[in-house]
Amino acid sequence: MSGVELENVTVRLGDTDVLRDVTLSLRARTVAVVGENGSGKSTLARLLSGLAVAREGTVRVLGLDPARQVAELRRRVAVVFSNPDAQIVMPTVAEDVAFSLRTEKLSRQERTERVTAALGRFGLADLADRSSHDLSGGQKQLLALCGAFVRNPDLVVADEPTAYLDAPNARRVADHLLEDAAHRMVLVTHDLALARRCDVAVLVQDGAVTRVGAPDDVLAAYEASIRW
Amino acid sequence: MVTLYRPGDGPWYRLPTGWKTALLLVVVLAVCLLPPTWWAAGVMAAVCVACYAVPGIGLRELGRQAWAARWIVVVTLAGQLIFLDPEHAVANAARVTTAITLAGLLTLTTPATELLDTVERAMQPLARLGLDPQRAALTLSVTLSTLPVLARLARDVREAQLARGGGRSLRHFAMPYLVMVLKHADELGDALAVRGVR
Repeated sequence: MSGVELENVTVRLGDTDVLRDVTLSLRARTVAVVGENGSGKSTLARLLSGLAVAREGTVRVLGLDPARQVAELRRRVAVVFSNPDAQIVMPTVAEDVAFSLRTEKLSRQERTERVTAALGRFGLADLADRSSHDLSGGQKQLLALCGAFVRNPDLVVADEPTAYLDAPNARRVADHLLEDAAHRMVLVTHDLALARRCDVAVLVQDGAVTRVGAPDDVLAAYEASIRW
Repeated sequence: MVTLYRPGDGPWYRLPTGWKTALLLVVVLAVCLLPPTWWAAGVMAAVCVACYAVPGIGLRELGRQAWAARWIVVVTLAGQLIFLDPEHAVANAARVTTAITLAGLLTLTTPATELLDTVERAMQPLARLGLDPQRAALTLSVTLSTLPVLARLARDVREAQLARGGGRSLRHFAMPYLVMVLKHADELGDALAVRGVR
């Protein structure tokens, strides 16, 4: 299965190149993207999700061109953001998960079965009929994950999914993201312990990818580069 | 309204959403056509009681619905009393209360996804005029489910204002609130896009 391939990619926002001439080939199952605030990590995640467009260069995600094959990309790539409130669309937990399946041609029974299974997997079965916006931050993020995973994506792009969570909830979310071998994962994170659990790490600095490799090596280089 | 659905069982739950919507519309319309008199106000109250006094709902729920609509009722009644006699004012306020509480029955007994599907089906004929029913139904749903978020953002801004020693200045409230709302709209747009909404 093909992964993520970027060749000489530049992304511009306004007058600034937020990613500059990035060439990257990622085939590992779990990839952590680390770097300082404003370095271009989130733009990289948006690029892979089809939310940002490359000004120059070639992007291939699972063999797809995000700019031209966006519908297929949406079907195969799920995205989780840091703010769970912005990801909740429907009033109740079960309905929000079911919303992700609206574009799939499923019978009502199939849809219900998929939603029930996903809620059970993320420990949300007892909250199925609760108001989505009344959940705790951790539960909301689990709901966001559930909404992403119910579509059985081939790739999950998560942009700081544990940023708003306490330690137990962050751990729970991370376990769900990393321990399911059925999908690939690109995880943008400031949590270096979480990055260490990935197969490969990518260091982004000032809009450029400066290091790719084993997480321990990349994180050591990252920590050495930080000027306190 | 957006979080009113309560799982349960009873005639209102078993009625198909389309028929339920049509039936409630007819009842509300009939109530609106009653003359503005004391006895009409009594009939309206009786209709509400009859609609709620069925298995699965109950009169306690009617009380909750009416209480939730209290400020609308108060404002309506106060406005009417300025220009009309008490009989007309009370009958008109009863009309509004009845419409709100009967509409509440729909959201109370119908999951939002089913409502969304019904709205979408009902708008299907308008597709010939260029309206996208799926988009229209989704817009409605997203608008409703965003209301609690907007309320929470307003509370956050107000608390931040108070924590920094500010008063309740509308000017100091409006700017950060607007920025937060626009940011939320931006993020929500991204979230919808990645979940397959174009």
